[in-house]
Amino acid sequence: MKNINLKKGLVALTTAALVAAFAVVVPSAARAAEPTCSVAPLALYNVANVKTCTGVDEKGSKYEIRMPANFNGTLFLYSHGIRKGANLPAIPVVAPKGYIVDNSPSVAPSEEVATSLLKQGFALAGAGVQVQGWNLAEQTYASLLLTSTAKAAFPKINKVVGWGNSLGALSTQAVAEQYPGTFDAVGNLCLAESGLAEITMAGDFLWGLKSFFDPTIKATGYSAGTAGYMEMLGDMGKVLVVLNALATAIAVNPTAPTWPTTSGVPAAYQGIPVRSAILLLGLISGISTQSMTYDSASGPAGASETTFGLVLSPALAVLENGAEAAVLAIAANYDMELRAGGIVYDNTKTDYSTRLGDDGDTYAAALSGKTYTGVLLSILKASPRVSADPAALARFKTLYDLQGKVTVPTVTLTATADHITPPGATQYFINKYEADVSKGRAGVEGASKAGLVTSIWNKPSDSYSTFDADGKPVKPTLAPNGTTHCNFTTSQTLLVAKLLAAAAKSGKSPSASTVKAAIKKDANLFVDPNYQAPLFKYRQ
Amino acid sequence: MKRISIVSAVAVAGAMVLSALPAQAADPGVTSTEIKLGLSSPQTGTAALSYGKLPKAMKAYFDYINANGGVYGRKIKLVARDDKYLPTQAATQTTNLVLNDKVFALVGALGTATHTKAYAAAQLAKNNVPDLFVNTGFSGFDNKTKYPTTFLVLPSYAMEAKIIAKFIADTPTLKPQASFLIAQDDEFGIDGVNGFKLGGHTFTKAPTLYPQGGLSSALAEGALTALSAAPGKPVLVLMGTTDTTATLLKAAEKLSLTTKFNWIVGSVGGDANTLLALGVKSTTIDGVMAASFFPDAKDTSDEYVSQFMKINEKYNPGVSFDNVVLQAMNSAMLTVQALRAAGKNLTRAGLIKAIEDKGSTFAGAGLAPLNYSATSRVGYNGYWFGQLNAQGELKPFGGKLTVYTTDSATSAAPVASTYARKSIPKNGIPSN
Repeated sequence: MKNINLKKGLVALTTAALVAAFAVVVPSAARAAEPTCSVAPLALYNVANVKTCTGVDEKGSKYEIRMPANFNGTLFLYSHGIRKGANLPAIPVVAPKGYIVDNSPSVAPSEEVATSLLKQGFALAGAGVQVQGWNLAEQTYASLLLTSTAKAAFPKINKVVGWGNSLGALSTQAVAEQYPGTFDAVGNLCLAESGLAEITMAGDFLWGLKSFFDPTIKATGYSAGTAGYMEMLGDMGKVLVVLNALATAIAVNPTAPTWPTTSGVPAAYQGIPVRSAILLLGLISGISTQSMTYDSASGPAGASETTFGLVLSPALAVLENGAEAAVLAIAANYDMELRAGGIVYDNTKTDYSTRLGDDGDTYAAALSGKTYTGVLLSILKASPRVSADPAALARFKTLYDLQGKVTVPTVTLTATADHITPPGATQYFINKYEADVSKGRAGVEGASKAGLVTSIWNKPSDSYSTFDADGKPVKPTLAPNGTTHCNFTTSQTLLVAKLLAAAAKSGKSPSASTVKAAIKKDANLFVDPNYQAPLFKYRQ
Repeated sequence: MKRISIVSAVAVAGAMVLSALPAQAADPGVTSTEIKLGLSSPQTGTAALSYGKLPKAMKAYFDYINANGGVYGRKIKLVARDDKYLPTQAATQTTNLVLNDKVFALVGALGTATHTKAYAAAQLAKNNVPDLFVNTGFSGFDNKTKYPTTFLVLPSYAMEAKIIAKFIADTPTLKPQASFLIAQDDEFGIDGVNGFKLGGHTFTKAPTLYPQGGLSSALAEGALTALSAAPGKPVLVLMGTTDTTATLLKAAEKLSLTTKFNWIVGSVGGDANTLLALGVKSTTIDGVMAASFFPDAKDTSDEYVSQFMKINEKYNPGVSFDNVVLQAMNSAMLTVQALRAAGKNLTRAGLIKAIEDKGSTFAGAGLAPLNYSATSRVGYNGYWFGQLNAQGELKPFGGKLTVYTTDSATSAAPVASTYARKSIPKNGIPSN
C-alpha cells in the first residue's frame, strides 16, 4: 500500500470543504479519544473472537472497528448511505415509529455481509457520521480519520478496501480521488450522483407534485428554526395526502382516475387521466418506470395484458417510486438549505419539454397522447419556478464533484432500475474516468490508467410483476432484486467484496473473464463494456 | 487470402504501419459457419394478434436460404425475442439480443415507441449494430445522426398521408365530400397529420386523435356518431393500428354506419385478414380503400407472392399467408441481399456500407422503389391505392395500379412512379 500523508489530507479537506462551506453546521472539534476495545461475545456476530473497538473521532463521528482473530491483513472500510438529518415524529410511510437522527456506526451493508466477511478473516470498520443528511464532506473526513485510526490501532492492516452504499459510495470515491493511497481498492455500490444532480431529480419530481396536485406544498425555501422544521413536516404530510389520493383514484378507476381535490390545475384540464401527469413527472425527473411491483413489461394474462403494460404500469411504477423520491426531496431540500444557508434547487431555466425528450414518443400511449402531453407540459411551463440563492448555491458547489481520477482497482455495482441513485450516476463516473484515461493517452501526466474500473450492472428480471386471479397486481413482500434502492442480495454484495479483496492484493482490477465467471449463475447481473446507462436529466 | 505484391516504398511503409496496429476484433455474431441475427417483436399479448407471425415467417425464409447453402456458406440463425409491443420489454429484449445473444445485426424490429426506447437502451449506435428493415413508418428514424445504423423498410406515415391527400384530390367521387381523420395521437398520427398538411389537404374539422390503446368501443361509437352528421358520404381516413381499425369498423357496424363513409384505411391498420380475424364482417371491409406498397398477399399471379407462399408452406406449415408474412419474408430476402452485398469478410460497418451503396438495387416485392443511399435510410417510398373486396383482396382502385412516390418533408406533390420492379431472384434465392 502506498504511503500517504493523511494529516496533510485532513487539513486540506477541513479547510476546503468543511470550514469554508459548512462552518455553520459542523460541530466544534473535540479531542478524539483512543478506541475502546473488547472481545465481542460469540452470539453477537456469530463469529468467534472478534475484537470490537469503538470510539468517537475528533469531529464527533462515532466509529467501530471489528477485528477477527483470523485476520488476513485486509480491512473493509464501509461508508453508509444517506440518513435523514432531522428528527421526525411518527409519520405513516415515512417514519411509522418516528425517527431520531441515527449517528450509529455501520461497518458493512448488512450484518449478514459483516458476519460472512469476518468469518473469512477480513476486518471491518465504519463510521456513523456526526451530522447526517447530505454529509459528503463530513463523511469523507470521517473515512479518512477512521482509516488512520484503524491502521494505528491494528498495524497488521496492510490492505484497505474502501467501499460504500449510495452517498457512502460517493464519499468513498471522493476520498479515493482526493487522497490517492488511502485505499488499495474501491467498491462503489449504488453510487450516488452529485448533490445537485440528485436534488434536481428529486426536486423536479417534488416541484411537479406541487404544480399539478397541491400548490400549498412549500418544497423549497424553508424558514429558519422551528418554523422551517414545521414547514418541512407539513410538506411531508401534504405529499402523503396527495400520493394517497392518487393511489386511491387509480385503484377506483385505472383508466380515467380523478385528480386530487387539492390540485390547482384548472378543471378543464382535469379530464386528462391523472396517471399521465404522474408518469410525466417521472419521465422529466428521471425516476425509474420500474418499481418493486410494476415492471412496465407485463400485464395480467388476457385482453388487457398489453394495455396494462403499455398504459398503466409505467405510471404506477413512477407513483410507487415517487413516494420515496418526494419524501427524500423534502428531507434533502430542508437539509441542504440549512447547510448552505439558502435554496440550492433551481429550475428557472429548465425546459421540461427537452427533459421529456424521446420519452414523449416512447410513452405516448401512457401519456394519453401528444396533445395531452403538450397540455401537461404547458401547465408546468406556466407554474412558478424556483430560484436558488446564489450564495447558497455557490457554497453547495464547493462540495467535491467526482473527477474520475482512479488510481486503484475500482468495482461498481449498480442497479439499472434504482429510483434514488439511477444508473446514470455510475455512468457519469465511468465517463469521467474514461475522459481522464483519454487525457493520459494524449500525454497528460497524472491521468488515470486504463483498465482500473470494472462495472457490474444489476437488472431486474425481464418481467416480474405478478397478478391475482382477478388480474390485480400483487405487491411483493420483498422488493425484487434490481428494483428500489441499493437492493442487492447478500451474495451479490459478497461477490463484489471478493473481487475487491483480490484486487487490493494484486493491484489489478478483475478481468472481464473473471467477473463473468463470478456472476455466471446470477441472471440479474451482467458486465459489458458496451453497456451505457442514460445520464441523469441534470447532465443531459 | 489474397496475396499482395508490394512494389513501392510507399506501400511498404504503409504495410509496416498497418502491421503495427492491433488486429481488429471480429464483430460479434459471425463465425465461419453462422450469422446470428436478432428480432424483437410482439409474440404474445394483443399486438401479437396482428404482428405475431413476423418472427416465424422471417425464420422460414432464412431456413429456406440455409437449406440452399446459406450466405457464402454461413447459415443464418434468427434469435427472436418477445417484447409484447411494450417499450420497456423491447428495451430489455433488444439489450439481451445485443449483449447476451451477441447477435451480429437486428432485423425487422417492430413499432415506434418500442424501437425508440430499444435503440437507445441497447446502445445500437455506440455498438454499431446494424438495425435492418425496421417495421415502422415514423419518419424520425430517417435521422442518420440519431439512428446511424437504422434502415427503414416501410414508407413513412407522412409519405402515406401525402399520397392519400393526392388520391382524394384526384378522385372525383371523393374530392367534394367532407373529410375527416381519426389517428393515433403519437408520432404515427402526428407524422400523418403533417403529411396531410404537406399534401395540401385540409380536413373538414380538426383530426380526432386518441392515444394508442385508448380508443374504446364507446369512444369509437361517439366519434363516428358525431362525424356521421356531415352530409353526403364523407371521406373518413383511419391512421392507426389494425386493432383500432377493427374497433372503429365494428362500431360502424353497430351504428349501421358502414356505408355512411368512404373509408380509407392506412397501410398499418389495413390488413384484411387481421381485420376479419378481429371480427370485422366481410361485408364491412368490402369497398374499403387502402394504400399499399406491396402486391396483395392473395395475388398468386405475383411472382414474389407465389414464391413466398411456397416457402411458407414448406418452412412455416400451418400458418396462413397474409400481408405480415409477405412483409416478413420480403425483409428477410432484403437481409440476405444485404449480407451478400457486404461480402465474405462480413463486418457490421461493411453491412451498413453495403446497404448504403447497393440497397436501392435490391430485389424485393415492393412496387415502389427502395431509397437507400449514403444519406437516406428510407426504404420503400411510395404507395398505390386499392379497394378491398369481401374476400379481403386488395384490388387496384379504378382497375389500374398506379404507384406514387414522394418524400416525408416537403410539399412537393407525389408523382407517378416509373419504377420497374426487379424480377424475383431465381427460386427466391438472391445471387447478387
